[in-house]
Amino acid sequence: MGRELVMTREGAQSFFGRLIEEGPVMGPRERISQPGFVMFDWLDSAGQLRLKYTTTTIPPKKAFFPPRQPLFEFESSQPPTITAVQEATAFTLVGVHPCDLAALEMLDDAYAQEPAEACWPAARARARVIGVDCLPDEYCFCFGFGTCYGREGADLFLTPIGRGYLVEVLTEAGGGMLRLSDVEDATDADREQAAAFRRAKSERMTASIDASPAEFADILEEDDFGELWREVASRCYSCGSCNTTCPTCFCFDIKDEFDLGLTGGRRIRSWDSCQLQEFALVAGGHNFRRIRWQRVRHRWHRKFLYLYRDFGRPYCTGCGRCSRACTADINIVDVSNEIIGRARGRA
Amino acid sequence: MAHEGTYVPRTAQLVQSIEENSLERTFTFELLDGEPLRYNPGQFMLVTVFGAGEAPFTLCSMPGSDGLLRMTVRRYPGGRVTEALHEMQPGGHVGIRGPFGNGFPMEMLRGRDVLVVAGGIGMAPQRGLIEAILNDREQFGKLTVFYGMANPEQMLYDDLMQEWLERPEIDLFMTIDRPHPDWSGHVGLITTLFEDFEVDALMTSATVVGPPVMYRFVIKELENLSLNPEYIFLSLERRMSCGVGKCGHCAIKGTYVCIDGPVFSLTKYRQLDEE
Repeated sequence: MGRELVMTREGAQSFFGRLIEEGPVMGPRERISQPGFVMFDWLDSAGQLRLKYTTTTIPPKKAFFPPRQPLFEFESSQPPTITAVQEATAFTLVGVHPCDLAALEMLDDAYAQEPAEACWPAARARARVIGVDCLPDEYCFCFGFGTCYGREGADLFLTPIGRGYLVEVLTEAGGGMLRLSDVEDATDADREQAAAFRRAKSERMTASIDASPAEFADILEEDDFGELWREVASRCYSCGSCNTTCPTCFCFDIKDEFDLGLTGGRRIRSWDSCQLQEFALVAGGHNFRRIRWQRVRHRWHRKFLYLYRDFGRPYCTGCGRCSRACTADINIVDVSNEIIGRARGRA
Repeated sequence: MAHEGTYVPRTAQLVQSIEENSLERTFTFELLDGEPLRYNPGQFMLVTVFGAGEAPFTLCSMPGSDGLLRMTVRRYPGGRVTEALHEMQPGGHVGIRGPFGNGFPMEMLRGRDVLVVAGGIGMAPQRGLIEAILNDREQFGKLTVFYGMANPEQMLYDDLMQEWLERPEIDLFMTIDRPHPDWSGHVGLITTLFEDFEVDALMTSATVVGPPVMYRFVIKELENLSLNPEYIFLSLERRMSCGVGKCGHCAIKGTYVCIDGPVFSLTKYRQLDEE
């Protein structure tokens, strides 16, 4: 853990105000037309920032990989001219919860795996990140996933305390940002309040997956659970909401679009979902995961087995977004525990 | 430079578009930057038709001194890239990324007899392999090619097939599924070519490329011949958007066809079975 300081509530207000004056800042704010609905978006003023929020529907990965991202522009001249779209503006992403910090690091690993992808790290290199601690709701299950107290990739990390925030300075860039702020040294009382906040976080967590990530991977690998996948799939609408809200999903599609004048256009990379029927469709009409249960199983296997084997941790942070978003009330904790229960019942 | 980064293609010009049959054309491309491309038989490229999109196609010939890239492409109704390619006139431009994937493992074929099994447009990737073997002929044992198609009209590379039929260093057997007035050769599914076919099982490698339905039946024949599954290779078709194992479309279990494949041994292929 880095250096610990305290930013008062008023101090935080003026700090974020100066940060926004300095350059673009994305953070949790209320949707203007929907008070109470908090989402990651660009901030115009410090007053818009909502550092106390449970979760967002769409995870902050969108700061680095927008749902629709232009890769290059083309003009249909002979030969065509191609201009790569390269954002260069530095920005700050604030208000990121520990589970989402962990997710960003997982995507760092996934996109860096050889052969590496170039867009994600380029976007990450443009940003400073400020994390903030949170309290769970009934969908959160990060405690058993080691993502509850993570600080990965954050330059500063804030923990709510009585007079504002305990600030952990985790990188040089984080320390640099504090020149915009009046901070005080943390007292033992400040530290005790932050520790109490963290205790409350784990004590309030009610949901958990009943096996360690290692055991869960073994369970998924050893057994078929064909009946269970069919049961879950019988409720699933294949809408893909679980994927679009997942902070660790990184699949995408690539498509071209023409300008109205048809003289040029752009190539777009957009988020995609393995739950959509056409995801594994190939030319000629053959579909390798045509049946819904195959796609439902694929998602669980990818999160908890394949990527666990590849990277040594499940590609799930326990954020609960997929369960909150599911239009059929399919809950990732319930289904996982049902699998674990059946496996142990067989053993 | 236009080809920096993961997704930005190099520009190439279409120099020739040959009609193979009513469905398939063979396209020859020349990269505008003139930088030669090295690749192995069985590797694939992602080809862009600007505005239509990008799609994967296997290279169907080995790199020659001319530096040209050849791909045989079937036109799929509603397939925006294949339709646009089929409409394109020589002189038109495309984007090219790649090569991607592993290609055929030449070290597992060298010093051994090779049985090449191609169904329909599966001959396209196999042609590059056959050329590679012919270019380095003394490194390999017997070369046998089974080529099956629905009807004679579907045959790819007619002139090349005639040439191969006459060359002593390659044994080419062709068959069509059902009798046809223009065909005097063997008739029957590709599996019928295995009747009375004898191999040195310990010294033979096989490569199989064809429509998904063909694999099951051909694998059974290869097993009847007692070939070692480590020396049987199949090229798999999957949807691919990125070519670098990130977009997820080609993932089968924990394997990405675009980087770990598209060519897999039968042993690995069995582990990939998702059913």
